[in-house]
Amino acid sequence: MSKTEVHDSSPREKFIASARKQKILSNKCIVCGHLMLTTVYYCENCYNRKFQSVELEGRGRVITYTIQAVAPEGFDDAGSYAWVVFLVDGTNFKVSGFLPGIASSSDLPLGSSVRVVDYNQKHGLILKKI
Amino acid sequence: MPNKVFVLGAGSTRYGRLNEGIIEIAMNASTDAIESAGIRPKDIEAGYISNVFGVSDRQVHMAPVIMSNLGIPEVPGLSIESACGSGSIMFREAFANVAAGFYDCVLATGVEKITHTGTIQSTTLFSYCSDFFYEGGNGASFPGLFASIARAYMARYKANEEDLARVAVKNHENGMLNPKSHVRKKITVDDVLQSPVVASPLKLYDCCPFSDGASAVILCSADFAKKSGRPLVEVVGSGRGASPAAVQGREDITTIPSSVAAANQAYKMAGVTPKDIDFAEVHDCFTIAEIIDIEDLGFFKKGEGAYAVREGATSRSGEIPINPSGGLKSKGHPIGATGIGQVVEVFEQFTGKADGRVIKDAELALTHNFGATGASSAVHIFKKVN
Repeated sequence: MSKTEVHDSSPREKFIASARKQKILSNKCIVCGHLMLTTVYYCENCYNRKFQSVELEGRGRVITYTIQAVAPEGFDDAGSYAWVVFLVDGTNFKVSGFLPGIASSSDLPLGSSVRVVDYNQKHGLILKKI
Repeated sequence: MPNKVFVLGAGSTRYGRLNEGIIEIAMNASTDAIESAGIRPKDIEAGYISNVFGVSDRQVHMAPVIMSNLGIPEVPGLSIESACGSGSIMFREAFANVAAGFYDCVLATGVEKITHTGTIQSTTLFSYCSDFFYEGGNGASFPGLFASIARAYMARYKANEEDLARVAVKNHENGMLNPKSHVRKKITVDDVLQSPVVASPLKLYDCCPFSDGASAVILCSADFAKKSGRPLVEVVGSGRGASPAAVQGREDITTIPSSVAAANQAYKMAGVTPKDIDFAEVHDCFTIAEIIDIEDLGFFKKGEGAYAVREGATSRSGEIPINPSGGLKSKGHPIGATGIGQVVEVFEQFTGKADGRVIKDAELALTHNFGATGASSAVHIFKKVN
C-alpha cells in the first residue's frame, strides 16, 4: 500500500486515474480506520467523511463471474469475456471488472488471481488473469 | 397501528408483445381494475403509477396522463420507478397512504412497454438499472449479474444447472394454466439445458422474457370496502428492504438482504410466520433468483432451496406452491407492472377468478418483488376475506 494525494477530481475520476496505474484507490477512515472503495462518500462503519487516500495494488482473487454470451451494447465487439467480481488483496471489499479472453469456465476457476491493467471508457475496469 | 387496507378490484392485460402504446396498455388494465372494483373514476382520490422505460415509448410523467385519460385530471398522481421492483414498491406507497388515512380509495397501476426496442437495446436499457459504474459499464448484463450469483450459489451449496432448470420447468407448467402468460409453452429440463447460453451458467430458458403489459388494483379503506359489499382481499403485512446496489458490495452474494428485511417486516406486521403462508408469488427473473428467494423469505433454510425445488416442494401441489401464476419466467416480466401483477394473481386466487390454477383452501398469500439484483425489495402478505 502507498499513500497518495489526489485533488480536484470526483471520487470516480480518482478511481479511474488509479486504475490506469493498475491500482485500486481506497479510502481509510481517519476516525475508525475502516478501509473502503474511494467511491463511497461516508465511512460505512462510522459515517465520518474524512479519509486518507490509499492506493492498493490492483490484485485480487475471483469470487464469482459470468461469461457473457449475449453482450450489451458497447461490448458486442469485445470477443469472449467475463464480468468478474474479485476480492481485493489485503481488504474486505470486492470490485468488479471486465476480463477479456475468457471462453469457458475452465479458463477461470473460482479463486483465480486477477489484476487491474487499465481503465477505458469503452469497457471500464480492465482485468488480466495472472 | 395503520388502518386496515383492502384490495377491492384488480385487472391486467395479457403479458407479451403488445401493439398498443404504453398509455393505452396502462388504460386497459386500469379500466379493468375499476370495473372489477365496481367503482367509478370519480371515487379515486389518488393514482400511483409505476414504470421504468416509458421514455422508450416517448412518455414519462405518466401519472397525470393516465388520470386525465380516466376523466379525472384533478386527481393527483405519482409516478414511481424502482427498476424491476417498481410495481411492488409503488404498491407499498399506495398502501401506506390508505393505511395512514390520507385516502379512502386509490388506483395503483404498473405498466411497461419494451419489446419494440429489440433484444440488444432492451438488454442495454436493463443494464442501466445496475450500479452502472461497476456493473453495466464493465460489461455485465442482467442475465450476467444473476449468472454470477448463480455461480457463487452453486459453488457454495453444491447445486447444479439441473436444479436451476427445474424452476423454469415448474413455472412454465403453471404458466400454461394462465391465459395471460407471455410464454405458454411446456418445457423439460433438457429443453432448458440445451437452450442457448445467455450468460454462463444461465441459458435462455433460465431467463424471463422481456414483456409488455400492465396490471392495476384498487386499494381502499375499511369503510369504503364495507359500502362496496364486494369480494375483498385484505393487505395484512407490508415490508420494504434495501441492499448494496452493486453485487460487489454484498458480504454474501448468495442472499439478497433486502428480501430478508422486507419479509421480516411483513411477517411481523401480519403476525404470521413463513409456515402460515399458503402460496407465494416471488421474483423469479432468473431461475437462480427463485431458489434464493424461497430461502430469503424463510420457506426453506439457506442452501436448501435447490433441493426443495428438486423434491417438488414448490409445485402447485407441494408444501409451499411458488408462482402459481407462472411467475416472471412464464407469465412474463413487464418490469413496471410485475409487482402489481403479483397482487392481481392473489386477488384472482382469493376471489374465485383463477380458473384452472386455484390453490385449494389458500387463505394467506405472500408477494415478493425486487429491483435490479435486489437493491430494493418489497414483500406483502394478503388474507382472503370470507
